[in-house]
Amino acid sequence: MIPPGNATVTDTTSIIALPAAPLHALEIWSNPVAVGARIQKGLGFAPPPLNRSTGNTATTLLRYEPTVWLVEGDVSVLADTLGDDGGLTGIGGGIVRFRIAGPGWRELLLEGGVFDTSAAAFPAGATAATVIDHVGVRLHAESEDACVAYVPASYAEGLHHFWEEALPLLGA
Amino acid sequence: MSGPNRPATGAETIAFTFDGTTYHARPGDTLAAALLANGVGLVARSFKYHRPRGIMTAGIEEPNALVTIGTGGRAEPNTRATDVFVYPGMVANSQNRWPSLAFDVASIFGLAAPALGAGFYYKTFFGPAKHWMLYEGFIRRAAGLGNAPTEADPDNFSQKAGFCDVLVVGSGPAGLKAALDAAEAGSRVMLVEQDAVLGGSLLRDPDPSIDVAAMVERIRALGGEVLLRTTASGYWDHNFLTLTQRLAEPGAVPEHGFAQRLWHVRAGRVILATGLIERPVPFANNDHPGVMLSQAVRSYVRRWGVLPGKRVVIATNNDDAYLTAEALVDAGAEVVALLDARASGPAAPAGVTVYHDARPSSVTGRKHALRKVTAVICGSEQSFDADLIAVSGGFVPVSHLHMQAGGKLTWNEEAQAFIPGETPQACETVGAALNPLPAPAIAPVGKAKKSFVDFQNDVSLADIDLAWQEGYRSVEHLKRYTTLGMATDQGKTSNMVALSRLAERQGVTVPEAGLTTFRPPYTPVTMGLLAGAGARNAGAHVRRIPLHALHAAHDPIWQPLGYWFRPRAYPVNGESLAEASLREARTVRTLAGLSDVSTLGKFEVSGPDAAALLELVCATTVGKLAVGRGRYTFMCREDGFVNDDGTVWRLAENRYLLTSSTGGADRMAHHISYVRNSLRLDLKCSVVNVQEHYAGIALAGPKARAILASLIGAEPPRHMGYAPGVLAGVPVHVLAASYSGERAFEIHVEATHAAVVWHAIEAATRVEGGAPYGLEAMELLRIEKGHVVVGGEVDGRSTPHDLGLGGMLNKAGGFIGAAGLTRPALSAPNRNNLVGLVSLDGPIPEGGMLIQRAGQSPQGHVTAAARRILEGGAIALALLQGGHKRHGEEMIVTSPTRGEKARVRVTSPHFYDPAGERYRD
Repeated sequence: MIPPGNATVTDTTSIIALPAAPLHALEIWSNPVAVGARIQKGLGFAPPPLNRSTGNTATTLLRYEPTVWLVEGDVSVLADTLGDDGGLTGIGGGIVRFRIAGPGWRELLLEGGVFDTSAAAFPAGATAATVIDHVGVRLHAESEDACVAYVPASYAEGLHHFWEEALPLLGA
Repeated sequence: MSGPNRPATGAETIAFTFDGTTYHARPGDTLAAALLANGVGLVARSFKYHRPRGIMTAGIEEPNALVTIGTGGRAEPNTRATDVFVYPGMVANSQNRWPSLAFDVASIFGLAAPALGAGFYYKTFFGPAKHWMLYEGFIRRAAGLGNAPTEADPDNFSQKAGFCDVLVVGSGPAGLKAALDAAEAGSRVMLVEQDAVLGGSLLRDPDPSIDVAAMVERIRALGGEVLLRTTASGYWDHNFLTLTQRLAEPGAVPEHGFAQRLWHVRAGRVILATGLIERPVPFANNDHPGVMLSQAVRSYVRRWGVLPGKRVVIATNNDDAYLTAEALVDAGAEVVALLDARASGPAAPAGVTVYHDARPSSVTGRKHALRKVTAVICGSEQSFDADLIAVSGGFVPVSHLHMQAGGKLTWNEEAQAFIPGETPQACETVGAALNPLPAPAIAPVGKAKKSFVDFQNDVSLADIDLAWQEGYRSVEHLKRYTTLGMATDQGKTSNMVALSRLAERQGVTVPEAGLTTFRPPYTPVTMGLLAGAGARNAGAHVRRIPLHALHAAHDPIWQPLGYWFRPRAYPVNGESLAEASLREARTVRTLAGLSDVSTLGKFEVSGPDAAALLELVCATTVGKLAVGRGRYTFMCREDGFVNDDGTVWRLAENRYLLTSSTGGADRMAHHISYVRNSLRLDLKCSVVNVQEHYAGIALAGPKARAILASLIGAEPPRHMGYAPGVLAGVPVHVLAASYSGERAFEIHVEATHAAVVWHAIEAATRVEGGAPYGLEAMELLRIEKGHVVVGGEVDGRSTPHDLGLGGMLNKAGGFIGAAGLTRPALSAPNRNNLVGLVSLDGPIPEGGMLIQRAGQSPQGHVTAAARRILEGGAIALALLQGGHKRHGEEMIVTSPTRGEKARVRVTSPHFYDPAGERYRD
């Protein structure tokens, strides 16, 4: 496991392993409009469309699949709103989050990647499920300055090392 | 050459060595330019005949000057001296010669050239296959290129994605203009140039009206990306291109540890401004040092200030070579003759004598340069004292990428060249590649045997003629028979000359003769670049189990398992693997042991239709499971064969946990996703892969129940029961499942808390005399119990009936594979069935074949072999034809490759506690 807070920092770009957080897979299998309305009422925001994120201080929803969202944070309100239309499954034990921050984060994610991380294609608030150096990774553009990568725990050390090695290549 | 060909100015500040001799170069020199500047003309030996070779070109098409750059693991063989820029300390060496470049013993093969023509190998090395072993060693020593380094490459290789609206390949005048136009139109532009300097042909023929620096600055200011030392090496479907970027010169220590980068670029549109390659002229000894392409000579003169010769003959069939005459005269060389094959041409520079209807027939030379050029002028021979001949046989558009993109070529009769035509992709060619200069065909006049066409593979005009005489009509057959165009340069300078000869022999036009196919890569690509960062770990990252560090503290023997690494055994006091695993297995049989089973596939299935989905995926019944119960299950493919096995547990009314094997976990993830998202999107359920969310710890042995009870403060569930619990303060799932044959439990815990739980279980287990056990002990235990393993007994060809699992099938059907299982072949009596084997003498060789007597065809094979854990004696699991009905039969297991055999008796596969008594408390 990567120790939380373990940071690799260059002059401009940093890779930080974030502490473990509650993460759940939310699947809505029926009545998505009604469920969306209930979630809007409960959380104050509707589930985001595909490849987008929405959230408040307690809960963030990130959508990567047609019927599945990644939920980061508190799920108590969600659990009460789903009824028989959807389910929540804990997955946080198998994911390590990295925050890649600084002006080089977009370029760094092109290393070993297949995904266009330019601001036009992947603006702040966008999400993407992609592959980086053969590892399935989910990305969330938190802001113009930072992206959070959700990495399978078994690959976290390897991918962290891969990014560390690639940092000096930024701009090369 | 008799001496330096560039006056020293003090700028020669870079020291490098070639074959151990130190020379000096200027910044920006290629190795070829630097060697020519230092008067070195002999650079290499040819592939087959070991003929002396020099520098022919000034670009990536160079066929002759192949050298090895660097030392140790960084050594890069077969590097073109024209495509490497000199850096301080560069070590360059010639190759394919012994004992030295100047005196190469193997050049004696040149004397035998008449016997070594086209098809020599096919005509000579036939007979019994074993003879090839003799031939091969001889051939490999005699012929070849540079030697691959024996040490590991210490550098890294990057692979990076790139995206753009417009990708422009080539930074000559046309490429620069195209890139600038696109950038100014608001497109996202990438401009790639294989040279270290932008400008393309402008570096050879400057145009004061084009300000390269200003154009590039403007492109960059508009957000364009400009990559130098980057070659577009592959053009694939959907405008996907691979680019090869040198981050460091060959053999150099890279600044950031990365030597090269492979770009994966997806472009909206591609503009190919790839220019032209000059065509050589065939005549006798046209491969000698001192024979160069005309534009290359001009490049060395104008770009690098190097005069490759002082008395120069120029031979041409087009106007461009007249510019070379100008450049040479301006630089102070004497152009002793300009041989123009045409009847007329443009005005030549003052003092240059032009001969029309003139073409070279042969040259003779010294080690580093020429001595004499002989020509046929208006039918008469005439010789010239000259140390260099600059030749131009016309121009070949660089259409390789265009063809890789699926583009067509059209024939330009005036230029005797194929021009890029239509293409099915969003791609266009611009610039000189579309407009080669007129250059009429020239009939060669020298001796065909020594008139080389493919310089790298020593293919001459005579070889093409011979292939023709022997009936090779197709250009593809000609290519393979003569090896024409099959060298590392892929025939960049040879193809059109050879096609012209073939067409001439056939009495057809060049287009009618045909054209070979250009395939990626355009220039050679190192293997490390293709492997990328994964080169050091077999192409993929090692997958670490959550408790990797904890196990490492025990210093176990590790076992690669797919991409995972798991402890194979935990030796103590110097135990061997066999000793440690047997001790661990005995501990499980008699006391208790714990093992890390985190890599098991795990899927949480929830929702009102969860059971319906599982009854589709699993071949056993699921729907009738009570909450808190589980069962062994297996999953079939559509064809009825077993895909994987595992257990299924009902955690709550509408929530199940399905486990599958480690090796099959990824396959099952795909399969279940397919079932859920493609076959039954209507089901109200969710399937989530929780393989990594939960770490798994197996606790097995007669004392396991008591140990677990003390840890969770409650009676553990009975065999195949489930209960949630809290262990060491951490919520856990307790599954009473056994793979060992003992009363056992799997404790699944959120991976981030696994260490606490492991420590608690290990401590309690050690108090009872138990210990951790690894994969090897697990294997001994499961073989003795007769449990199958995916990848062993479940080999993709096994049905449930073959494995003795037919009785567990869901009799109501409806599961994936049910229809496939009804096929008669899958219930044929002679199918391979799972059986046990008990040795009647020594150990049973794993993987051995089952026969009844010597010489008989195999009737089955051993899938796993072991020794009995407590009693001693060898046992095995095997797949045997009709095995279910052959219990009691004596057979022989034989492994001819290992020279091992054993007599065995066929039995039930369940050697240990077949009634399952030990599962009961």
